[in-house]
Amino acid sequence: MSGFFHYFSSHASSFRGEFWGLLVGGLGSGIIYAMVAIGYTMVYGVLRLINFAHSEIFMVGGFAGFFVLKYTIGSSTPTGFSSVLLIILGILAGGTAGSLIAVLLERVAYRPLRKRGAPKIAYLISAIGASYFLLNLAAKEFGRIGQSMVQPYTDHPVFTIFGAPVQMYTLIIFIVAAIMLVGLDRLVSATKLGRGIRAVAQDSETASLMGVNIDKTIAVTFILGGFLGGVAGFLYAMNVGVLYSMGFTPALKAFTAAVLGGIGNLRGAVLGGVILGVVESFSVAFVDPAYIDVVAFAILILVLMFRPTGILGEQIGRAA
Amino acid sequence: MKVRRTILKIRLNKTVAALATGALLLVAVPVTGFASAGAATKPVYVIGYEGPLTGSANQYGLNELGGLQLAVNQWNAISSLPFTLDIKQFDDQGSGSLSPAQAAAAVAVPNLVAVVGPAFSGATHAAQPAYLAASMPIITPSATAVGLATGGNFFRMVYGDDVQGTADANFLINIKKSKSITVINDGTFYGAGVAQVVSDYAKKVKGETVKLATLPQTSSCSGGIASVAQFAATATVIKHNNPAAVFYGGYACDFANLLPALAKVGYKGVVMSADGSYDAALMTQTTPVSAAKGAYLSAANCGSSSNLTGADAAAYEALTGIAPASALYDAQAYDAGNIVVKALKSLATSLASNTITQTRAAIVAYLHANTFEGVTGKIAFQANGNLVGSGKGNIAIYQITGKDLPTKHACY
Repeated sequence: MSGFFHYFSSHASSFRGEFWGLLVGGLGSGIIYAMVAIGYTMVYGVLRLINFAHSEIFMVGGFAGFFVLKYTIGSSTPTGFSSVLLIILGILAGGTAGSLIAVLLERVAYRPLRKRGAPKIAYLISAIGASYFLLNLAAKEFGRIGQSMVQPYTDHPVFTIFGAPVQMYTLIIFIVAAIMLVGLDRLVSATKLGRGIRAVAQDSETASLMGVNIDKTIAVTFILGGFLGGVAGFLYAMNVGVLYSMGFTPALKAFTAAVLGGIGNLRGAVLGGVILGVVESFSVAFVDPAYIDVVAFAILILVLMFRPTGILGEQIGRAA
Repeated sequence: MKVRRTILKIRLNKTVAALATGALLLVAVPVTGFASAGAATKPVYVIGYEGPLTGSANQYGLNELGGLQLAVNQWNAISSLPFTLDIKQFDDQGSGSLSPAQAAAAVAVPNLVAVVGPAFSGATHAAQPAYLAASMPIITPSATAVGLATGGNFFRMVYGDDVQGTADANFLINIKKSKSITVINDGTFYGAGVAQVVSDYAKKVKGETVKLATLPQTSSCSGGIASVAQFAATATVIKHNNPAAVFYGGYACDFANLLPALAKVGYKGVVMSADGSYDAALMTQTTPVSAAKGAYLSAANCGSSSNLTGADAAAYEALTGIAPASALYDAQAYDAGNIVVKALKSLATSLASNTITQTRAAIVAYLHANTFEGVTGKIAFQANGNLVGSGKGNIAIYQITGKDLPTKHACY
C-alpha cells in the first residue's frame, strides 16, 4: 500500500499548482476517449453488439491522416491558414477512412450474421476476428515500428488557465470535438435520420414496420461512429504518432468510458470519456502512475455497483 | 488366365518397386554424396541469436545479428576451419513473455552449441532457466540488468547497469550539477533495474533529492498496454516540481512519449536515459522530433572500440545496410561470435565424440577459463559472467542535437 501512494502523496499541498494543468491534460485525453466511446455506444444502441474492431477503426483513421499529411506536407513547416487547411484535410482523411472500414466491417463481419439470426456469441467472435485481421494486416503493411506524424502546425501554448498552459494541440482537440459531438447530438436528437436511429435502437421490428430501413440505418450508424473514431485516431496520432497497435489501449479506455457513462447513451459516452480522462490525469498526482488503471477501473466498479446501467444509464432510443 | 494376371501383377509390382527405389537413390545421392575414399563433409555447428528481430525494438536485434553474421561469415571463409558454422535466429521481440519459448526452440536444435543473446534483460531473465538446464552458453551483447549475473552459463559482453547507472548518476550530479532528480522507470526488469541504480547512488552516495515514479510500458512498446496519457500528467507534475534532472529507465518506444510531454509543459531541466533508449526508433517515434533535442543517452560501449571500425565496419555495412557508428552493440555481438568459434576450435578433437550437452558445457568452461582479444578490447569473465574490470571509462554518453541518433560521445 505504501507503494500505491509512493510518488506524489507527499505534496498534496502543492496540488493546487498542478490542478489546472492536470485538468486541461485530462480533458484533452478524455475527449479522445469520448469520441471513440461514441462509436461503441452507437453500435451497441442499434445492434446490442460491442464492436471490438472499433480499435482498428481508430488505428486506420490515424494512419490515413498520417499518410495524407506525410505526402502533402513533406518537409515543409506549415503555418497560419495552411495549417488550418491541413488539419481539416487530416480530419477528413481520418474520418473517411474510419467510416469506410466501419461500413466494411458491418457488411462483412456483422450483416451476414444478422441476416441468419446468429447467436450473440457469433457476433462477438466475428468482431474479435475482424479486429485481429485488421491489426495484423496493418502490422504487415505498415510495419511494427511506430512513426511520428509530420506536424501540420507548430505546437505552442496558446493561452493559460490560472497559469496552466493550453497547447495548440489541446485547443484543436477541444474545437474539433465540440463541433463533432454537438453536431452528432443534434443529428440524433432532431433529424429524421436520428429518429430512425433511435427507433431502431428502441425496437427494430416496430421501426421496420413504421418504414425505417433497418439495413440503411445500421450502416449509417456505423458510418457516424466510424467517422468519429477515425477522427479521434488522427487527433491522437498527431500527438503520439502511428503504430499498428495504437488502437488497443485507447479503445479499451473508451469502451470503459462508454460503460461508465451508460452504454447506448451518447451523452453518457461523452461524460464517461471526460470523467475517465480527468481521473487518470489526477491519479498521477496522488498515486504512483503505475496504478492509474487500478484507480480508473476501481471507479468504474464503484459506479456500476450503485448504478449498474452507468451514470446516465439511458439507452440511445430514449436519449434527448 | 487368373494365374497369368497374377504373374503380370507381381512383375508390375516389382517394376514399380524398382523404379521407386531408383528414384529415391537419385534424390538421396546429391544430398548425402557418395562415400569415397578421402572425401569427408565438415560437420555443421549452429550459433543461435536471440533478440528482438521484429517489434518496436528490432533495430537492436538487427544490429547485433549483423555483427554475429559478419563473424560467422569471416570464419566460414577460412578453408582450414574444421567445421562449418551456421546461424539460427530466435525472435523474442525483446519480451520476457516470448523468450522462454524461443529458448526452448534453441535448446532443441541438435547441433546448436551456443546462443549470442538474448539482447534484452527481461528476455534474458525469463530464458535463463531453460538455457541453464540445457548447459547452453548464453553470451549477451547487451543485456545489462544487474540481477542477470548469476554465473554458470551466463556471459555478458558489456558492463552491467551497476556501472552504467552509476556513471549516469555521476554525470547528472557532478557534470550537470543536478541537485534534485526525478527517476522514472517503465516497470520492466531492465528499466526498473537501471533506474534503481541511479536512484540509489544519487540518494545514498551523493545525498541528492530523488523522486521516483513508475510509468508502465504503453501500447507504443511491444507488449505494453498502459495509456500514453500518463506521460502528459506526469510531465505536468514534473514541471511543477521542477527537478534539475529527469532520468528515464526504459526503452526508446516510451522515452519517445516522455520527451514531447516534457517539451509541451516547458520543462527545461536535463533529461537523460540509458542504452535502452539509444535506438534509431527514438528519433522516428518522438513527435515532434525537436522534442528530443538536448536529451542525453548512455550506452555501455566505450572502451577500445565503441563499434566496428575499418574493414570490419565496411564489411558490416555491406552485409546489413546499417551504418556501424550507430549500430549499438554490433561489435559486442561480433566478439561474442568470435569467442564461441575459438572455443569450438579448441574442442575440435573432442567434438565428434561429445554429446551436444557436453559440447555446450565444454564451451562454458572454456569461456570461463580463458582471456580473449576482441575489437571491444580484452575480454575475460568473472565467475558470475560479468566482464573483469571496474568498467570505468566504458560508458559512453551522447547528447541528441538533431534529427538523427547521435554518434559523437564522451566516455565516463
